[in-house]
Amino acid sequence: MPLLELKNIRKNYGGLRAVDDVSLAVPAGAIVGLIGPNGSGKSTLIHLIAGTSSLTSGQIFFDGRDVTALSSDQVFQRGMARGYQDPSLYFKMTALDNALLPVKNQRGERPWYAPWRRCWQDEEAAHAQTAGDMLEQVRLLKHYDKLAADLSGGQMKLLEIARALMGKPRLLLLDEPTAGVAPKLAYEIFQQIARLRDVHGLTFLIVEHRLEILLDFVDYIYAMHLGRLLAEGTAAEIASHQTVRDVYFGD
Amino acid sequence: MNIDIIATIIALLTMFSIYSLMAISLNLEYGVAGVPNFGQALFVSLGAYVTGVTYTRLLPLLAGLETIHPCGSSLGAALQLRSEIMATQPLAGFLNLALTFVTAAALGGLVGFAVSYVTLRLKQEWYLALVLLVGGEIVRIAVRSADDLICSHNGISGIAGPFYYLDDARASSALFMLLALALALAAYRCSEGLIHSPFGRMLKGLRENEAVTRSLGKGISLARAQIMLIGSVIAAIAGVLFALNTGFVNTNDYVVTLTLDVWVMVVLGGLGNSRGALLGAALIAVMDRLTQVAAIQLNMSGFPIEFNYVRFILFGLILLFMLRFRPQGLLPESPLTTHAHEVLRPGHPETERRR
Repeated sequence: MPLLELKNIRKNYGGLRAVDDVSLAVPAGAIVGLIGPNGSGKSTLIHLIAGTSSLTSGQIFFDGRDVTALSSDQVFQRGMARGYQDPSLYFKMTALDNALLPVKNQRGERPWYAPWRRCWQDEEAAHAQTAGDMLEQVRLLKHYDKLAADLSGGQMKLLEIARALMGKPRLLLLDEPTAGVAPKLAYEIFQQIARLRDVHGLTFLIVEHRLEILLDFVDYIYAMHLGRLLAEGTAAEIASHQTVRDVYFGD
Repeated sequence: MNIDIIATIIALLTMFSIYSLMAISLNLEYGVAGVPNFGQALFVSLGAYVTGVTYTRLLPLLAGLETIHPCGSSLGAALQLRSEIMATQPLAGFLNLALTFVTAAALGGLVGFAVSYVTLRLKQEWYLALVLLVGGEIVRIAVRSADDLICSHNGISGIAGPFYYLDDARASSALFMLLALALALAAYRCSEGLIHSPFGRMLKGLRENEAVTRSLGKGISLARAQIMLIGSVIAAIAGVLFALNTGFVNTNDYVVTLTLDVWVMVVLGGLGNSRGALLGAALIAVMDRLTQVAAIQLNMSGFPIEFNYVRFILFGLILLFMLRFRPQGLLPESPLTTHAHEVLRPGHPETERRR
């Protein structure tokens, strides 16, 4: 059984079919790519899965359970975290606070415990250690007390992934994790993603614009065009798929 | 000009404490959580109205006497009754005060939670600002129109402080000042604790990016309703003290200008930290006093303009000036929230062990 399964997803904006009858499956422990030209419906699909917008018809299953109607906070609680196309950090907070905010079930997040530091300080210190480890993994530990706004573009992307991981998700939905990042750094970000999969057994569904970078890292690719699934297959199959090549490279 | 320095200091510190409570409340709501509460006067007034009701209805019962209807023809007798009780039965006075605080806090909290839980589901939190701005006026006019509650236009006067039984008027006002200061200090400690906690971090996250905070698993409607509850409780307690300090409850005191005064305090002091709220409250309390004294002096010397109105011009200018040149306020908030940063600081034993 796949970890994430989409069945006949449809999303209409007025008369426009942004996503049209898309079905796909993401097996546990896989890195699955979602490609397509601008406006093909990739980001909309991520929004639908993450619960930030509601779908017109279809069903979404996560770990065998129907999550179609859940709101974005419930989706996160179930174990699906998302990244954004533009870095959506808390820019006025430090890197460490960014990482600590999504930790689930924090005692100090309840207002009747919050003013009494003794009630939650040990828990918070333990979370800080975990966050420190997480920041170390994306090589941001030395910047832990910097404001997120003062990080470089690539560091912001990595912090966003680290932040999402603090909620202990099983699946990460990433919308162009290398957008606006230099090619060399983009490669590094994908190396990190591959390592997180290997070490933590995480599953990834990644929207990516650059086909060439996916080829080295992903297990499976779905290609979208005009809201529909155009093709699916391994990276090599997609790279040699004639229709995909037509849409992408025009040859 | 003859100014009693000690009396002035006592009055100033009392006003500072009451203003601090109001500013701490608004700072939690708007400064930390980004909920624009334009109904601060409403929540303060709830505390004051409760005071007006308890000191006329509950106090005689606690003293073991018959209540006298506080309005109309029996107004004088009722006033004399409550003064007498406050002067001779301090225990009934204290018990009444305690029950007043509890009732005011419960009512304020309930209204704050209920209002916000409904309206924060609106698409734009600024709708809440409008709902509360208008709601405050509606409640005020409704209370004023209710003939019996706090005697409509006349209000209720002659509400003595809890230390009225002391023969020395200065000692009684000094003790009241200490009570107000203690409550302000408690609210300050509580608010600082909240801000520098995971709860405060979540609220600051909400303030900065609502959609992201939601998709990081946080139930945002509940969090906002919770902070509105806390803020409203503090505001209602400030309302009780405000009524006791002036000695009367009248709906005219809780108009929009009171809300704006509190906004000036918070914007002037600095949004997002309680020290800023204290500083703003202190500056406004002093400015209030100065304009009052100036108004009296100028009126006596035959100055052709009513100087009290200059206060409004002054406050408006402060607000504009701050928003234009120093939007972060006199004391900007610090980005660090909890002690987590100390845990990761080089030199911390736990961190060194792992490096």
